[in-house]
Amino acid sequence: MGVSKKISLTVFGLIMAAGALMWLIQLWRGLILTDMNNAYSWGLYVSALAFFVGNAAGGLVLSSMIYLFGVTALKPFARIGALCAFANVAAAMLIVLPDLGRPFRVLNLLLHPQIMSPLVWDVIVLNLYAGLSLIYLYLLMLPDLAARTGILKKITLPVKDPAGFSDTWARRLAPFSLVAAVGIHVVTAWIFATQGARGWWHTAVMAPDFVAAALASGTAVVMLVAVLCYGTADKFQSAFRIMAIFIATAFFIHIFLMYNDFVIHAWYGTDHARETLAITLQEYGLAHAFEVLAPLAGVVLLLNARVRKTMSGIMAGCLLIIAGIFIHRILLMPAAFNQMPLTLAPLGSQHTLWSVPIASGRYAPPAETFVSHHSYFPTLVEILIFAGVLSFVCALILVAVHQLPVVKEG
Amino acid sequence: MRRGMVIDLEKCIGCRSCAVACKQHNAQPAGSWWNRVVTPGSDRHLTASTPENLYFLPIHCQHCNNAPCVKVCPVGATYQTDDGTVLIDFERCIGCRYCMAACPYGVRQFNWESSKDGMQRYEYQNNYTYGYPDPFRLDGRLVYSPVRIKGVVEKCHFCAHYQAQGLDPACVRACPGKARHVGDLDDPDSRVSQMIRQMNGFTLLPEKGTRPNVYYLPPKRKEV
Repeated sequence: MGVSKKISLTVFGLIMAAGALMWLIQLWRGLILTDMNNAYSWGLYVSALAFFVGNAAGGLVLSSMIYLFGVTALKPFARIGALCAFANVAAAMLIVLPDLGRPFRVLNLLLHPQIMSPLVWDVIVLNLYAGLSLIYLYLLMLPDLAARTGILKKITLPVKDPAGFSDTWARRLAPFSLVAAVGIHVVTAWIFATQGARGWWHTAVMAPDFVAAALASGTAVVMLVAVLCYGTADKFQSAFRIMAIFIATAFFIHIFLMYNDFVIHAWYGTDHARETLAITLQEYGLAHAFEVLAPLAGVVLLLNARVRKTMSGIMAGCLLIIAGIFIHRILLMPAAFNQMPLTLAPLGSQHTLWSVPIASGRYAPPAETFVSHHSYFPTLVEILIFAGVLSFVCALILVAVHQLPVVKEG
Repeated sequence: MRRGMVIDLEKCIGCRSCAVACKQHNAQPAGSWWNRVVTPGSDRHLTASTPENLYFLPIHCQHCNNAPCVKVCPVGATYQTDDGTVLIDFERCIGCRYCMAACPYGVRQFNWESSKDGMQRYEYQNNYTYGYPDPFRLDGRLVYSPVRIKGVVEKCHFCAHYQAQGLDPACVRACPGKARHVGDLDDPDSRVSQMIRQMNGFTLLPEKGTRPNVYYLPPKRKEV
C-alpha cells in the first residue's frame, strides 16, 4: 500500500474513531445532543440514509448495463460497482442506528416486525440488496480468487471454468439485482411519500424522482472510484463516456420530475403547497440553487470529452454531482417539518393560515416552549457521526480495492 | 365500544388546567406536553389574538381510527386497543420517531434526554416528584411509567391507568369549565354521540382521513 493510501486510511480511521466516540457520548446523554426537537424530529441522520441508499445505485447500473444490455465497455468497472453498492448500502443501515433513541432494541425489528410499516420493508430490501451485492462482488472476483493465497483461496468455489461460471451467474443474477436495486430506492422513497401528514413528501413523484437522483449519484460514485483506480487511459474512455451520458440522462430526468411537481403544486397554489415551496425556494434558496447548479456543472464537465481525459476533471464532475444530490437529500426535511400539518384559520380571519405550535421537548431559556418553526442545523455530534460513516464507506472501498482482486492489473 | 372524547370549545375558558393536570398526573418529563391549549390566531402560545377571534383549542392525541402512527411503527410499539385507544409500549419502542413524522397533529413527544437530566436542565428543585406513582401495564405491556427512560416516544394514553380504576382521564376531571366529556362513540344514545349530533361536532384535519375519536363542539363568536 502506497504512502498516500496509508495517509488516507489513517485520516478515515481517525474520523471514524471521532464519529464512534460521538455516538458513545450520544448514547450516554441522549439525542438531546442533536439539533432535532419534537417539531423537527428527523435531521441529518435520516437525510444521510436517503443519501447513502441513493449512492448504492451504481452497482445496479453497472451490472444491468453489462449483463442485461450488453454494454461490455463497462465490464472492467463491474467489480467496483458491486463494491460501491455494498459499501453504501451498509452505510445506509449504519447511519440509522445513531438516529434511534434505543438502538439496542433494534432486534425488535426481527422479533415484532409490523408488515404495514414502510420502515420494515426498507430494512428487508436493504439487507437483501447488501447480500446480493456481496454475492455479486464474489462472483465477479471468482476468476482471480484462485490465484490468491490464504483465506481468499479457501473461499474460492472449486469450479472448472471460473471465468465462464462467473459470467453465467452474473448474467443470471442481474435481473434480481436490478429489481432489488430499484426496490431500495422506491421503498426508501415510500418511507416519506406514504406520509399524508407531510405535504412536501406526499407526492407520487417522489419514488421515481428518488430512483432518478440515485442513478445519477450512484453512477457518479462508481465513476469516481473507477477513475481513482484505473486512471484515464484511452481504453477506458468509452466506458467513461457511457457513464457520463447515463449520469446526465438520470440527472435531467430528476430535474424534470422535481420541477414538474413544483409547477403543478405552485399553479394550484394551496396554502400548504405555497408554504413548502417558499421554504425550499426562498428560505433554503441557496441550498436549492446548489442542489440544481452543482450537479448541472458536474454534468457539463463530464459530458466534455476533453475533461473526461483528465483525472481532476472527472473527479470534480463526480464530486459536484454527489454533493448536489446530498443537498437534495438534506432538503427532504426543512419543508416537511417547518410546515406544520395542523393549521387553522382563526375565527374572523378566515384568510390567514395559522400553524399550531408543538412543544419543542427541549429547554433553552431564550427559545419558545411551543414552536412552529425551527432552523435546524446539525450539531457537531451529528456532523461527526455522519462524517464517520462517510469515512467508513471510503475506508471500506480503499481496503477492499487493496486486499481483494477488485482492480484488474494491466 | 369506541372510546371517544368531546371537547366543548364554548365551555373552554382557556385556563390550561387540563394541560397542567395531564402533565402532573402523567409525570411528563420537563418540556413534554401531551396536552396543549392554543389560542388560534395569537402570535405566541399564551397571548390573546384579536378580541373577536378569541377562542381556545386544546389539542392532544386524537386517537385516530385510521392512525398513521400505528401504521408506520416498525415494531408495533404504538398500537390500538379494541376500544380504539392508541397506546405506546414504552418497553417496545426503538425511538425511530417515524410516528412523529407521521402524526399530523404534532402530539407525540420524544424523550431527548433522561427525565433526571431534563429536570436539572429546567431547574426543578431537588427531589421534586410528581405524577401517578405506579407503573401501569395493559395486557402485560407497559403503557405508563412514572419514571421515563430517554429515547422513547410518548403521548396521551387516554389515562389508561385511571380507566382501569373506573375513573375519567385527568384532563376531564380537572376541567373547571366542564368542557370535556368521554363516552362510547359506537352507542348512538351515549352523551358524547348526542352532543356531536346536536351541536355540530367536528374533528381536526378531516381531509387527512385519520378519523379521530376526539371531537370538538364549535365555539360561538365572542362579543367583546
